[in-house]
Amino acid sequence: MVINIKGSVSSETKNEMANENIIIETKDLNFYYTPDKAALIDVNIQIPEKKVTAFIGPSGCGKSTLLRNFNRMNDLIPDIKVEGEILIEGQNIYDPSVRLEDLRKKVGMVFQKSNPFPMSIWENVAFGPKVNGESNISNLEEIVEASLVQADLWREVKDRLTDSALDLSGGQQQRLCIARALANKPDIILMDEPASALDPISTGKIEETIDELRGKYTVVIVTHNMQQAARVSDYTAFMMVGELVEFNDTNTLFTKPDKELTEEYITGRFG
Amino acid sequence: MNTNNQKYKQKVTRANTIAKMIISFGGYGVIASIILILLFLVYESMPLIFPADITKDQEISSNSNEKVLLTGIDRYQEVTYLLYENGGIKFFNLNENSLIYKDSLQLNDGEKIISVDKGKLGDELFSVGTNSGRIITAGAIMKPQYNRGGRVINASFKQDDQFGISDSSSNTIIKKITFSENEDGSRFWSWLANARLYIRIYDADEGETYNYDLTSFIGEEKVSNITLSYQAEKLMVGTEDGEIFWFDITDYEDVQLKDHWKVSAASITSLSFLIGDNSLIIGTEKGEVQNWFPVRSQENVFKFNKIHEFKSHSSKVVSILPSPRNRNFVTIDSKGGIKLNYSTTNATGLEIEPTDKKIQAASLSPKANGLILIDEDNNIGKYFVENDHPETNIQTLFGKVWYEGYEEPEFVWQSTGGSDEFESKLSLIPMIFGTLKGTFYAMLFSIPLAVLAAIYVSQFSTKKFAQVIKPTIEIMAALPSVVIGFLAGLYFSPLLEQHLMSVFLNMMLIPILFVVAVFVWRQIPETTRVRFPQGADLIFTLPFVIMAFVITAVISTPLELSMFDGSISQWMYEEMGVLYDQRNSFVVGFALGFAVIPIIFTISEDALSNVPKSLSSASFALGASKWQTVIRIILPAAAGGIFAAVMLGLGRAIGETMIVLMATGNTPIMDLSPFNGFRAMSASIAVEIPEAPVDGTLYRVLFLTALLLFVFTFAVNSIAAWIGDRLRKKYARF
Repeated sequence: MVINIKGSVSSETKNEMANENIIIETKDLNFYYTPDKAALIDVNIQIPEKKVTAFIGPSGCGKSTLLRNFNRMNDLIPDIKVEGEILIEGQNIYDPSVRLEDLRKKVGMVFQKSNPFPMSIWENVAFGPKVNGESNISNLEEIVEASLVQADLWREVKDRLTDSALDLSGGQQQRLCIARALANKPDIILMDEPASALDPISTGKIEETIDELRGKYTVVIVTHNMQQAARVSDYTAFMMVGELVEFNDTNTLFTKPDKELTEEYITGRFG
Repeated sequence: MNTNNQKYKQKVTRANTIAKMIISFGGYGVIASIILILLFLVYESMPLIFPADITKDQEISSNSNEKVLLTGIDRYQEVTYLLYENGGIKFFNLNENSLIYKDSLQLNDGEKIISVDKGKLGDELFSVGTNSGRIITAGAIMKPQYNRGGRVINASFKQDDQFGISDSSSNTIIKKITFSENEDGSRFWSWLANARLYIRIYDADEGETYNYDLTSFIGEEKVSNITLSYQAEKLMVGTEDGEIFWFDITDYEDVQLKDHWKVSAASITSLSFLIGDNSLIIGTEKGEVQNWFPVRSQENVFKFNKIHEFKSHSSKVVSILPSPRNRNFVTIDSKGGIKLNYSTTNATGLEIEPTDKKIQAASLSPKANGLILIDEDNNIGKYFVENDHPETNIQTLFGKVWYEGYEEPEFVWQSTGGSDEFESKLSLIPMIFGTLKGTFYAMLFSIPLAVLAAIYVSQFSTKKFAQVIKPTIEIMAALPSVVIGFLAGLYFSPLLEQHLMSVFLNMMLIPILFVVAVFVWRQIPETTRVRFPQGADLIFTLPFVIMAFVITAVISTPLELSMFDGSISQWMYEEMGVLYDQRNSFVVGFALGFAVIPIIFTISEDALSNVPKSLSSASFALGASKWQTVIRIILPAAAGGIFAAVMLGLGRAIGETMIVLMATGNTPIMDLSPFNGFRAMSASIAVEIPEAPVDGTLYRVLFLTALLLFVFTFAVNSIAAWIGDRLRKKYARF
C-alpha cells in the first residue's frame, strides 16, 4: 500500500483555531536521533492555549519525540540534531539565551511510567518549587496542598503526607506525578501516555484529572488510545512516520477526517 | 518418537539434578570452609586464655624420717634428689620408684645443715649453712645420657668448696643463707649468723675474695629473710618489721645500701627474685604476696615500686619458687597451701587449698612444667604443671600492662628479645591501632578522590572521557600490591622526604588554584559557556594546576631555606616535636589509598549510573539543574551503593598486607601523627611468623591476630553486603 502522507493542515481547522490563542508553535521542525534518519519531518503545528491537545498515531510515528521537544527533554540524549524553530509564547526555546531550568519550570511533564522520587509524598510535590528557589515553608505547604487538590489526590493522602511516595498505588503515583508537575505552576503540561501502564479505573481517574485541568493549563497528551484522545481532548493531531498528517478539533477529526490516511487509522484499518 | 521424547526428558531431568548437586555442593562448600577457617582460628588461639592446671602424677615414699631441706628434679622429670639435714643426699628414679644414687656432704660430728639456697634458676648448684659456722657449696648433678636403650639420667654429687666463717665454730649457727653464681663464675654468699648480716664475694676474674659485715646498715631492725639476685647485682634484705633493704653489690670493693622502705606491717618471711632479676616477690607472715620492681622516678633514680598484690595466703608464706622459664612463681604457705602466680598479669592461675600437711621442700622443674613437693612425712609428690601461655590473658592482650623496666602500664608489643630472661609483651592494641590508623589515612585520601571521580565520570563527563577513564582506574586494581608497596616504600617515601616542602606547598596550592579556575570559569557568561563542548571546563582548569606546580618549583627551596632553616622535617621536629619517619602513615595513606581507589570508584560509579534514568528525568523535567539533580536525587539514591563501596574499600584496606608491610616501617607504636609509621595486624602476622615456634605463645597470638582480622573484614564486608541488599530492594521497583 502506498500511503500518501503529504498532507497539510486543512483550511477549516485554521478557521476554527483563529479564535484560539496559540501557545506552542513549531516552524519546519526537523529532528534527528541519528544524522541519517529524521524522526520528525517538517512539522508545523500550532497548539492552542488552555486546551487539551492529543497526539495520536501508530508506534514510532514521532508523537512522543515531538512532545519531548517542547521541554527539550530530548537534549539528554547525546548526538541529537534539531532544525527549525519551536516557539513557546513567542520565544524560540532553542535560543541560547533560554535557560533550560526556566523552560522546564514553565513546561511541566508527566511520564509514561509513574516516577515518584523515593521520598515522602510531601517532598515529592515540593521538589519543583524547592529547586526553583522557594524556601518558605508556609508557601510550600500551600503549594503542596493546592497541587494535590488539583490532581485529585488530596483526599486520599492528606493524612499521610510524610509516608514514602513509593507506598502509593500505581494510579495514585501517576496522579502524584501530575501534582508534582502542577506544583511548579506551569503554563503547559506535557503528558506522555500517562495512563498506558494503568488499569481502567485508574485510567478513568487520570482522565477526570485531565478534565479538571482543562481551561486552567495547556495540556498536550500523547496517547495510542484513540478513545482516550476522543474522550479527553479538544484538539487532536494525527502523526505518521515523523510527519503531521492532520490536525483538527477532536470532533471533526474523528467524525469527518480530511485525509484518507486519518480515516483509515481511526477506523482501525492499520495501526 | 514418543519414547525418544521420554528419554530426552529423563536426560534433561538427570542433567538438572546433577547440576543442582554440583552447584549446591560448591555453595555449601564455600560456606563450610569459611566456618572451618573461623573455627580453626578460634581453636588455635583459645589456649591463650586457658587457665593453668596441676595434676598429681605420682607419689612415692622416700623411706626416711630425716628432715628434708632441699629438693630438685631433672628437666625430664625422671630423677629427683633430696638433701637431708644430716648432709645425706639421695637420688630417686621417679618412674621406677627406686633409689638410684646415694651420697653425703662431709660434715663433722653433730654438724647439721640449718639453711640452704640454690645458686641459679633451674641449676643443681647450692650452698648450705651449718650449725657450726660452715658454708659448703655442692652440686647435685642429673645429666641425661643417650645410649641404645634410650635416655638414662645419670646422677652424681660433687662437693665443691667450703669455708668456715669463724674459728670458734661450735656455736655459730648459719640461720639464713642466700647464694648466687653469676655468668662470670663469681660466687656470692650472704648469710645471717648470730644476728649479724654478712656478705662474701669471690671474684672469679681476679681470684680475690671480699668479706663485709652489713649489720650496721640495718640498724636496730631484725633481719628475717635475705635473697641475692641471680646475676648478684642486688642483695635484698627483709626484716621482721616488714622493711626491705636494698644493697647494691655491683662494686665488689664498695657494697652500698641503696634504699630501704616499708612494704608490710608483718614480718617478711620469704623473698625471691624472678627471672631477669627485676621483679622481687615478697611473702609475709600474714600471707601477703607482693611484686615489686624498680621504676625510674622523676628524679631519674630507680626506686622499687609495688606493682601487684597477689591473692593472699591464709598463713605465712614460707617459700617462693620462681620459674626458670618465665614470670611464673609458686608460693607455698606454712599449712601446705600452694598458689601458682604470674607476675605480669597479676593472675593467680591455680590454687591448692592448705592440707595441714606441711611442705618441707619444693622445686619447680627446669622447664617449669613439673613440681616436686616433699611433705612432712617425707613423701615425694610429683605434679604436672600445665601452663603453656601464662603470659597472655584478656588483660595482657587487650589492656595496659606494667612491664618490668617501664615507667607505667602501657600497651606494648615486643614479641621477641635477645635473652632467655626476656618477657614477651603481646598487647594487640598497637596492631589494632595501626590497622585502624593505616585504614583511616588511606580512606582520608581515597574516599574523596574515588567518590568525586565517580560522580564526575557518571554524571558530568563526556561519554568518551568516561570510556577512557573507567578502564584506566579499573586497571589500577590489577596492579599487585607488592608492586605498590615496593614503589611506596623504596621509591616514593625517600622522594617524599626529599621534597616534603614541595608536597606541602602543592597540597595547599592546587586546591586554591583549582577554586580560582572554577571562579574564573564562572565569570564567562553562561550563554558563551554552553557553546563549548562538554568537558571543556575540565581542560580549562589544567593550566591552573600546572601553574601550581610551577609556583611550587620556584618558591619551595627559597621558602624552605628562609622559613624552615633549610629542612622542614627538622623544623617540625624541633619546633613542634613531630618526628618525621621516612616510612610514615602519609606514604601509606597514598599507597593504600591507591590500592583502594579502584574498588570505591568502580562500585560507586556503578551505583551512581544505576540510579534509574526515570528519576533524573523527572528531576530535570521539574526544572532542576544538573547539580541539583545530582545532589538531591542521584546522590541520595546511590548513597547506599557508595556506602557499600566505601565499606568494601575499607575491608580491602584492613586486610591489605604487602603495602603496609613495605611502607610503614612496622613500628608498633601508638601515635596518631601522620608522619610516623605503625604496624598493622596483617603485616604483624607476616613479619612475626618466622619467629613463632609452632604452638608457642607468639604462634597462638598471631592466630588470634588473624582471627581479629577475619572478624574485622567479615563484619565490614557483611555490613556492605547488607546495605547493598537493602538498596537493591528499595530501588527494585523502578
